[in-house]
Amino acid sequence: MTAPWLELLDDTIRACAEFDRPDLAQRLRARRASLLGPARRVVVFGCPGQGKSQLVNALLGAAVCAVGDDVTTAVPAVLRHAETPTAAVLGAADAGGPVETATARANKHPEAVGAEIGLPRALLGSGMELVDAPPVGEPTGRRTELAMAALAEADCALLVSDATAALTPLELDLLGQVARLCPAVAVVLTKIDMVPRWRHVAEVDRNRLADAGLVAPVVPVSSVLRLAAAKANDRGLNAESGFTALVECLRAAVLADPAAAAGRAAAATCAVVIEELMGPVKARAAALPPAVSQDGLVKATKRVEQVQRDAARMQTQLADDVADLNSDVEYDLRDRTRRVLREVDDYFEEADPLKVWPEFSDWMRETLTTVAEANADWLLRRFEWIAGRLAAEVDDLPALLDSAGVDDLRTPRVEPFTPVQKMFVGLRGSYSGLLMSGLATTLAGLPLINPISIGAGVAFGARSVFEERGARLKRRQAVAKTAAQRHVDDFFLAYGKQTRDAVRLIHRALRDRLDEVARQVRADAAESAGRVKRAVEAANARRTELITGVRRDLTKLGTLRGRAEAARRPLTVPRGLTA
Amino acid sequence: MLAAVWSLVDTALAAYRGDPRATAFLEACRAALSGPLRVAAVGAAGSGRSTLLDAIVGEPFTARASRLVVDWPGAVELIDGDGDHDAALVLLPRPAAPFPDALDPVASIAVLSRADELGGGRVDAMVSARQLARRHARGELGALCQDVVAVSGLTALASATMTAEEDATLRALAGLPRAELEPALLSVDRFTGSALPVPAAERVALVERLGLFGVRLALSAARRSADPRAELSRASGVGEIRTAVAECFADRADTLRARSALTAVDSLVRADPRPGMAAEVERVTAGAHELRELRLLASLRSGRVSLDDLGDDAVTEARYLLGAAGPNRLACTDDPYTALLRWRARALDTTLPDAQRRAAGIIARTCAALATR
Ligand SMILES: Nc1nc2c(ncn2[C@@H]2O[C@H](COP(=O)(O)OP(=O)(O)O)[C@@H](O)[C@H]2O)c(=O)[nH]1
Ligand SMILES: Nc1nc2c(ncn2[C@@H]2O[C@H](COP(=O)(O)OP(=O)(O)O)[C@@H](O)[C@H]2O)c(=O)[nH]1
Ligand SMILES: [Mg+2]
Ligand SMILES: [Mg+2]
Repeated sequence: MTAPWLELLDDTIRACAEFDRPDLAQRLRARRASLLGPARRVVVFGCPGQGKSQLVNALLGAAVCAVGDDVTTAVPAVLRHAETPTAAVLGAADAGGPVETATARANKHPEAVGAEIGLPRALLGSGMELVDAPPVGEPTGRRTELAMAALAEADCALLVSDATAALTPLELDLLGQVARLCPAVAVVLTKIDMVPRWRHVAEVDRNRLADAGLVAPVVPVSSVLRLAAAKANDRGLNAESGFTALVECLRAAVLADPAAAAGRAAAATCAVVIEELMGPVKARAAALPPAVSQDGLVKATKRVEQVQRDAARMQTQLADDVADLNSDVEYDLRDRTRRVLREVDDYFEEADPLKVWPEFSDWMRETLTTVAEANADWLLRRFEWIAGRLAAEVDDLPALLDSAGVDDLRTPRVEPFTPVQKMFVGLRGSYSGLLMSGLATTLAGLPLINPISIGAGVAFGARSVFEERGARLKRRQAVAKTAAQRHVDDFFLAYGKQTRDAVRLIHRALRDRLDEVARQVRADAAESAGRVKRAVEAANARRTELITGVRRDLTKLGTLRGRAEAARRPLTVPRGLTA
Repeated sequence: MLAAVWSLVDTALAAYRGDPRATAFLEACRAALSGPLRVAAVGAAGSGRSTLLDAIVGEPFTARASRLVVDWPGAVELIDGDGDHDAALVLLPRPAAPFPDALDPVASIAVLSRADELGGGRVDAMVSARQLARRHARGELGALCQDVVAVSGLTALASATMTAEEDATLRALAGLPRAELEPALLSVDRFTGSALPVPAAERVALVERLGLFGVRLALSAARRSADPRAELSRASGVGEIRTAVAECFADRADTLRARSALTAVDSLVRADPRPGMAAEVERVTAGAHELRELRLLASLRSGRVSLDDLGDDAVTEARYLLGAAGPNRLACTDDPYTALLRWRARALDTTLPDAQRRAAGIIARTCAALATR
């Protein structure tokens, strides 16, 4: 079964690939390889002259790292277990020489990037390698860079700060950074042999660490005493040096349970990497588009309904108008024909049909023609007015659409459609022609009966020999009136029917046209509403997709981070030398 | 130059009449021009500023006051704390970058303070620190200041103020057999905690006063029957810092005071311009030959400008003429007029590098001033 930390590491490496960070994946793979190695890496770091190199020497009981009063260490030195002492300078051609001078040679060589030293030491053999890092402190600079690179590989890090001064803000900041990378950190307070008030400094350091929220033990030591103790084989002096506590601290951190130490280191590295992966995802979450406004869609939908309602209302209005027109036109026709008849009556009170009939016939034809024309003209003008009124309303529709905020929704302007009025004007000629031809057939169908020539008159006339002249005239007059009356009635019926047919036709044409226009407006409105709806839906879908993506990524990384956080526990160790 | 700056301050006072803040500022400049040279100790808290100033004076005055005017070897006012100053002692714990901004090539001395700790408190710690200071004076740090000096203020002050009781304690300890004393000197804890015939309280007080380095050194001197106080004083480096203050600051007090007044007026004119004042400041700055001399000296010292091609004699003569060795500028020169001709010829010699010709021009002008004196 693979160790849980290895699984975490592999999952994080996969996440790096998934989130397009091959560089981080590469870093983790290198870390994985080193964590699978047998030795845990302890990096000694800090500001210059704090006694880092001397500390490593004192830990190993050998003068392997160059020590000096000035800034001495230029490149990291890695100390590993070896059966016989070995040394190599990395990154530069090295003339070779004793193991003790290897770091000095590496420090002096401008191209060297490190030194590797093998020593037969039980401490190293128990699964640990030590790194004496160059000083940090200069914000930019090769030494700092090399030191930070060494720290990136650390399973445990010791911040070396001497007892002549308490931890500085720079050191606290550095320790904070390192603690993120590395699960086990401790502060080693060096040079306690020469500082009278070192216990006070240790206490101040502990307080500053606590104030900074850093969990790290402070281990006071004296390398000078440790080296002297080793030389003199003096157990008491060794105890005074504080190194027993330091070794104990290292044991707890890396030696006691190397697998757990590797696990903690892996977890810490993963946590840092995951945090880095989270950065862009969080940025994406912050940059999500706002929720899509539904206003446009609501407006567009309302407009479709409005257009529909308008169309229905206009049809009703047209029907009402046409009904009014029908009754008005019929009344007009009745009125006009009644007036014709009254005139006929008046006329034949006096005139003798026998003498005036041909003349009367002409007059009758002309009068009825005029009646029909006037009536037809009036009918057409009424239709024109009705059509005009509708056209005005229909023409208003596009304006209505405009004011509905179509522009924000990027709907193209609805084409102004042909006004009904225009259409009607176009048709007008043919309708009047229709009416006139109806009139012609009507009139043509009327037998303009000559009351004399139909025989009745002859019959009456034969009989009238016996009647007095006055009475005969009266009879002729009555016959003429009746004939005229019947003729006008026929005209009224026939022509009335023609008119109603014409009205029906025109009404139907207008209704169809209105339907067509309404359908088109409705279609336009529906289409623009559809467009708005699709746009809104697309935006919503895009947003949902983004949100889901961000959420999925955050959850994924969050889970991974949770696993990493759970697997890293801070180092707790005995306090060692105490005040 | 001092006269030119005096009249510049007077001109400025006239230009800023009616502005109470500017007037107060300029009056302070005037007062500083006529007062002693102000030398401040600058550094991080705990870097040993107070102890250093006490050591220079030989008396713990910083406990009572933050300023003290001393008359040696010229009128100098030592300042413990922030505030305006004409020159600065910039305290560094160690000669490592990043270097503080307070360093100034003309008016600062870098002090490796608490230098006894630099060498881990070993008996030879100050020897090593002195070498270190000398090495860095030639390097990057040296280019940023007038001099680099290693001092252990604690040791110096202890030497200057050592009491008879302390002396007696030291001698009593020195009288102990080596086998008994040596292990007790391994660490402070051992020194104060070992079973020795001298009361522990006295030992605690002693190591607090002298530091472990001081205790070790004083005891080794006492054992050799030398005077511990003299040994401590010699090792502390206080002599070097006094000399450096005298040579780099006190001997050039007029120039440094004039310079800081000029800088102050310049900053005022920049912040709150008045017609003609900028030109006036510019005129005085351009005419300040002493400032150019100081900058050239700093460049020669740091090696940024080298006159080595001209021969050792020329290098020495140049340093003397520029006032590096004090007021006797003609000590290495036969006659100022021939020196003027010699240096002017170098200034005009097109085969020399530009930097050297410019340097020769400055020295020629110095010679001209000396010749007409
Ligand atoms: N007294 C004393 N001096 C020490 C101790 N550790 C280091 N030093 C001195 O401190 C100086 C710097 O030591 P070094 O190990 O080179 O420091 P690094 O720059 O941090 O590697 C040297 O002079 C050492 O002798 C110590 O424990 N006690
Ligand atoms: N070992 C040693 N300690 C020093 C030296 N100078 C100052 N100290 C100690 O450093 C601490 C701070 O010194 P102080 O002069 O008050 O520093 P300031 O805060 O810069 O004024 C005190 O505990 C001094 O005893 C020195 O030269 N050597
Ligand atoms: Mg080192
Ligand atoms: Mg102070």
